Amino acid sequence: MSDPQSTHSNDTSTTHFGFKQVEKNQKASLVAEVFDSVAAKYDVMNDLMSMGVHRLWKRYTIDCAGVRPGNQVLDIAGGTGDLTAKFSRLVGSTGKVTLADINLSMLKVGRDKLRDRGLVGNIDYVQADAEALPFPDNTFDVVTMAFGLRNVTEKQNALDSVYRVLKPGGRLLVLEFSKPTSEQLSKLYDMYSFHILPKMGQLVANDAESYQYLAESIRMHPDQDTLKGMFEKAGFDQCDYQNLTGGIVALHRGFKF
Amino acid sequence: MPSSALFSAAIEQAINRLLSLDSDSKARLSRLNGMRLYLFIDPLPNAICLVFSTQVDVLTEYDDHSDVVAKLDDKSCCIQTRVSTLPSLKDTNQLTRLIQQGELTVDGALSVAQQVSGLFQHLDIDIEEIIATNTTDVFAHSLVSAAKTLSEKARTGSEMVSRVLGNALVEEKQLAAHRLAVMHFSDNVNALRDDTARLEARLNHLESTRSKS
Ligand SMILES: C[S@@+](CC[C@H](N)C(=O)[O-])C[C@H]1O[C@@H](n2cnc3c(N)ncnc32)[C@H](O)[C@@H]1O
Repeated sequence: MSDPQSTHSNDTSTTHFGFKQVEKNQKASLVAEVFDSVAAKYDVMNDLMSMGVHRLWKRYTIDCAGVRPGNQVLDIAGGTGDLTAKFSRLVGSTGKVTLADINLSMLKVGRDKLRDRGLVGNIDYVQADAEALPFPDNTFDVVTMAFGLRNVTEKQNALDSVYRVLKPGGRLLVLEFSKPTSEQLSKLYDMYSFHILPKMGQLVANDAESYQYLAESIRMHPDQDTLKGMFEKAGFDQCDYQNLTGGIVALHRGFKF
Repeated sequence: MPSSALFSAAIEQAINRLLSLDSDSKARLSRLNGMRLYLFIDPLPNAICLVFSTQVDVLTEYDDHSDVVAKLDDKSCCIQTRVSTLPSLKDTNQLTRLIQQGELTVDGALSVAQQVSGLFQHLDIDIEEIIATNTTDVFAHSLVSAAKTLSEKARTGSEMVSRVLGNALVEEKQLAAHRLAVMHFSDNVNALRDDTARLEARLNHLESTRSKS
């Protein structure tokens, strides 16, 4: 894996979009195109691509979030709201969950889905860029970001921004694709994501390109230890991570004290 | 992770499916809104936490028993026991003994444990009606009569047991049954009474539809 830091440090004008190099100011709109294009079929594809395992990864994230009744929770890059749905029930009527996403199409799919499930009253929907969160300092008890960070242009900015809006004592959980721990698994996974995944994307969502981007963006994402270092750089304490499913996915956690 | 997440997902689905079979469970569930029940069941590797709202969410709890007990509030309760002890919990007369022997520990709001047990004990899944609507008239009739006799017996029995034990509990203060045992007991008696009343109503309904046809 190439060093992801070198391609998006603040003093270079380009960054990666999948395996391509693009101008930094273009990346957000390219990512937006991807998610505009996949929004409607996003949930179905998630189940199909991960064979349902994404639900277990998310469940584990929720278990580790330690959300209590009355908490203020931010689900950034929350998309279609899988985490938000559960958090909404866990915080109860005295708490609040903010589902934030940069992409209006994803946010709309999420809002409709949650409303259809009767989840109303304690959820705010906010269009926001993780790099510049529009919330006051020290607002949230828990912030989660599931499968969102790799799409952000300046990941360090996003972590800094989350640190600012967390209350002292609060925690951030980032669930993201990562680096498989075994060579064999890595090969198998490469075969799956570069050959099977785009075909599935083509077949089900008629959109091979977006799923090609997905596979590439996963490879370009910082590995476990690099991301942990970025957490520490943002100021987080007690940073750790757990590899899930052999490191295909990792859950990073850090506290603000 | 995946095995604990899979386990809690399976329990969550089973519980919610079960509750959905009884339309009355919604009202009982709403009384539990915002409450939490932590269950440490040895030798299961992780504790689970049942969170009640419009449905039951099941979380895996990674904190130790002492940490969980420390964070309990007036809307949460923690039960610690063994898998092998679970069957004995049904027999509420044994609860005091189990607690004394250290086989069962209850911390926090007892009322939560009691209401959760009520949520499941009062489950009213319409098996009789399902049978009756799916079988012949003759079979339904014999089933109805048999069930009616049983229901009458159950009601007389429950009233008698309730009277005798109620008196014993009031008069014999030294009996000093554990609070939880008493609550469970009265809960059971009420449940039995509710069950009989419901069964009777259903039987009457069945009989009236049968005589109309
Ligand atoms: C793969 S989806 C994940 C959705 C959801 N969290 C889940 O796990 O199902 C990634 C989401 O990140 C959002 N996203 C991308 N860049 C973002 C940014 N800079 N700020 C906030 N959200 C962003 C996308 O719009 C998309 O909804």
